[in-house]
Amino acid sequence: MRKLEEVLRDFEAVIGLEVHTELTTLDTKMFCDCRLSHDDPPNTNVCPVCLGMPGALPVPNERAIESIVMAGLATNCEIQKRSYFYRKHYFYPDMSKNYQTTQGPVAFCMYGHLDLDVEGQGAKERPDDTVEKRADGSYVTPIRILRIHMEEDAAKMVHVGGAEGRITSASESLIDYNRCGTPLIELVTEPDLRTPEEARLFMEKLRQTFLTLGISDCSLESGSMRCDGNISLRRRGETAFGTKTEMKNINSFKSLHDALEYEICRQADVLDEGGIVYQETRHWEPSKRRTVVMRVKETADDYRMYPDPDLAPFDLTDDFIDRCRERVPELPDAKCDRYMADYGLKKKDAAQIAGDPVMARLFEDARALAPDAVATVANVIVNLVPACKLIVAAQVASLSKLLAADAITFAQAREVLEAIDGTEFDPVKIVDERHMRQSTDTDALAQTVEEVLARCEDQVRQYREGNRKVVGFLVGQCMKASKGSGNPKIFNKLLTEFLERG
Amino acid sequence: MEELTRLSAAEIARGVKAGSFSAREVAEASLAAIDVREGQIQAFLEVSADLALAAADATDAARAKGEELGLLAGVPVGIKDNMHLLGTHTTCASRMLENYESVFTATCVQRLLDQGATPVGKTNMDEFAFGSTTESSAFTTTKNPWDTTRVPGGSSGGSAAAVAAGEVPLTLGSDTGGSIRQPAAFCGVVGMKPTYGSVSRYGVVAFGSSLDQVGPLARSVEDVALCMRALTCAGRDPLDSTSQEVGVDFTAEVKRPVEGMKVGVIDALMEHEGLTDEVIEGLAHAREALEDQGVQFVTVDLPNIASAIAAYYVIGPSEAFSNLARFDGVRFGYQEPNCATLAEQTALSRAHGFGAEAKRRQMLGAYLLAAGVYDKYYYPAQQVRTLITADYRHAYEFCDAIMLPAAPSVSWRFGEVSDPTQMYASDLFTISNNIAGNGGISVPVGFGSASKMPVAAQLQGPAFADSSLLRLAAALERGIEGAGLFKSNAIATDNSRGGER
Repeated sequence: MRKLEEVLRDFEAVIGLEVHTELTTLDTKMFCDCRLSHDDPPNTNVCPVCLGMPGALPVPNERAIESIVMAGLATNCEIQKRSYFYRKHYFYPDMSKNYQTTQGPVAFCMYGHLDLDVEGQGAKERPDDTVEKRADGSYVTPIRILRIHMEEDAAKMVHVGGAEGRITSASESLIDYNRCGTPLIELVTEPDLRTPEEARLFMEKLRQTFLTLGISDCSLESGSMRCDGNISLRRRGETAFGTKTEMKNINSFKSLHDALEYEICRQADVLDEGGIVYQETRHWEPSKRRTVVMRVKETADDYRMYPDPDLAPFDLTDDFIDRCRERVPELPDAKCDRYMADYGLKKKDAAQIAGDPVMARLFEDARALAPDAVATVANVIVNLVPACKLIVAAQVASLSKLLAADAITFAQAREVLEAIDGTEFDPVKIVDERHMRQSTDTDALAQTVEEVLARCEDQVRQYREGNRKVVGFLVGQCMKASKGSGNPKIFNKLLTEFLERG
Repeated sequence: MEELTRLSAAEIARGVKAGSFSAREVAEASLAAIDVREGQIQAFLEVSADLALAAADATDAARAKGEELGLLAGVPVGIKDNMHLLGTHTTCASRMLENYESVFTATCVQRLLDQGATPVGKTNMDEFAFGSTTESSAFTTTKNPWDTTRVPGGSSGGSAAAVAAGEVPLTLGSDTGGSIRQPAAFCGVVGMKPTYGSVSRYGVVAFGSSLDQVGPLARSVEDVALCMRALTCAGRDPLDSTSQEVGVDFTAEVKRPVEGMKVGVIDALMEHEGLTDEVIEGLAHAREALEDQGVQFVTVDLPNIASAIAAYYVIGPSEAFSNLARFDGVRFGYQEPNCATLAEQTALSRAHGFGAEAKRRQMLGAYLLAAGVYDKYYYPAQQVRTLITADYRHAYEFCDAIMLPAAPSVSWRFGEVSDPTQMYASDLFTISNNIAGNGGISVPVGFGSASKMPVAAQLQGPAFADSSLLRLAAALERGIEGAGLFKSNAIATDNSRGGER
């Protein structure tokens, strides 16, 4: 198969995503009061409503509707004041009523967009002449969102005794209705994505947004956030869409990128050989790094959608929407801009912190405790904290102050963090216990520098001959001589002074 | 004991409260009447004697402790078998649910229990409420107590017959296209379909969710009002998102005079070709009775009512297809044994669990909702619905209620009407009210001169104006000479009709 970048010079990839997100942070299901938890023993969080017992009726969970409205506001959607729930019919035991309650042509949220800022290696996937790129090769591209609608999740089925866990060959099928009726929002993009990297970035940005809203734990691994990719190719210059395939089983950002990359290259191969791409659903096999056919769609499924007569048209008041708007916190983009403007953070660091609400919270709290060491706080959070299990803001602040005062090195900071991870200890305690504190006493250090220069005549000569790099070696010698207690920055400064002075 | 079965619900509640007799005595009298008459009538699918006696004893114990008793203290009630009551089966008169035990109690049933009612059993019906005769019940054929060779009407035929036969003074029925009002008319009892949303549907097995409404059947308007009060006085039901607060004391309303009220008549409907002379005479009689009390009659028009049946037989089956999809033999209900695949099990469980009419309606619904068909039928049907609702709203600018037949004829004989479309057409006078979501009540006004069977008038009113309907119905009842006949019961008063049979 040809390489992606090569394929994308000849073909335009047209990619749309459907993203399902379970509203895991709610207490109860979409249409009943059952507890929302998939970890409990099977079929313990069930009632007549979610089991589809005759006579039971749905009552919408208002908190779930708040969540979807917040999701819509955060993705620049138009909130529809009147929308309906629909019934989507299919006979399968994972849907207890044999219809899924979802939404029809009008969803709560319509016509939004997210802007992607594509940088670095990933930006190269998009050929230069198809988008306006900045000098460094990065570019911004808006991705339109068609709709976000509310629906209920199906039950979990486990097929026992067959190959690959598929129902066709199973001897028994077990159903756990705990998940049945979990509030689910489905976001559908317009086919505006053009590269696997854009798709990955969109998904990442969406996840950051939903995490910041606090509406879901957004775990791709556990399936609380699921993504299907639709992809078709057309030759550059053509306007008609090609035949699309649908990609399933994408449970990481990497899978999303790699599955799309594979599928683009596969379709290109088919088209290059004069073949036909069939409209089909394909399954991503991460271990084999390929997609395989799940089922061929010959005709569109007829779900017999119609407005659910058990649920009155849902009218959202301005008041309700305003309340949701008030609950939308500062979103990652705005936060990133603020971190750059107010604290002078680098864009990459600011974006990384702003994109993760836990990190952002930690940053904000630690920054407040160490207002003179903000850059160091950001540095610690971006580079050291991700490896930790549990670090609190006070510890980050304290550690950052030590670093900013050159009392410890970055390598030592890593060691300190390891020692205090999950404890309540102040980093100062570890630094003192382990005698890590570095000397910044210039007079004492100057003595070491003189000793080192006296015995390293060769290097001094090399320096004089113009080899400035030997300073690094000399700093190392000083560190060694001081048994690590001297501050390398000060050694560097002193060494340079001495050498220049001659 | 026999005397107790002739009392109205209101009289029973008063007597139990006053200590004139105990709730247990009333329950035993009702159970004894069921014992004696069920052989002929077969109104019940299940008699819950233990539940009834336990409830009656609880009422008596509450009285002994000096507690305040409810509106329906000691009143024996029958519940249509599509409403859940813990401790009973809920079969919907279908093989599909033959062994289905209620897993909770419907809100409407619970509200009667909360007011001290004594639940004596579950009444027969057309399978899943699809029908107008109760003949489509998978289990038994209910007879009309006035003439056991005739149908009791349907789908709440068991509920109407149980009241007419004096087995219980009060029952609950459900009305999707006339299923309370038509059997009430056929059996000579009062039956009310309240405004959509006034009674909770939670726990009532759905047929057409946008059309279904629960209501009472009784031998007097006063009892119907009393039951309406019991069903609504606890406010809207949070478990049914379509239920609404009513906030009216129906029992007080029925006593108010009707002078100056206006009742509309629709000339085109009264000239309908299927309408029998007996019914026309009955309505003329009813008009006189109301005019005598100062009610003014005006002519109104519902220009789109001719499309009501067509719209109904699109919306009803579409919703039924969807509501009955859950009966697949996986979690509950009839499960076909020895199936090799899930698809086979689903198909055969449905093929063998449902009767002919239930299948016909679901097939129709599945077709009507299919891609390409939906736009041709379902969508226009909803547009017709909007027009009919607007027609009614316009008509009610000129009157407080509309009087029309409840059915084109008196009850027919078993097997007399077998063509489904002919049967569907008999719903003409009741269906439009379900489409508009308004309230309607059927009141007996006499006997047909030829058939000697009960004839009824139907009053329909604007949405959430059920109290004025009850007020007019009570006046009608007062004004009809010999209407007292219906206040007793069919079997007990057989001879009072002068040995005409």
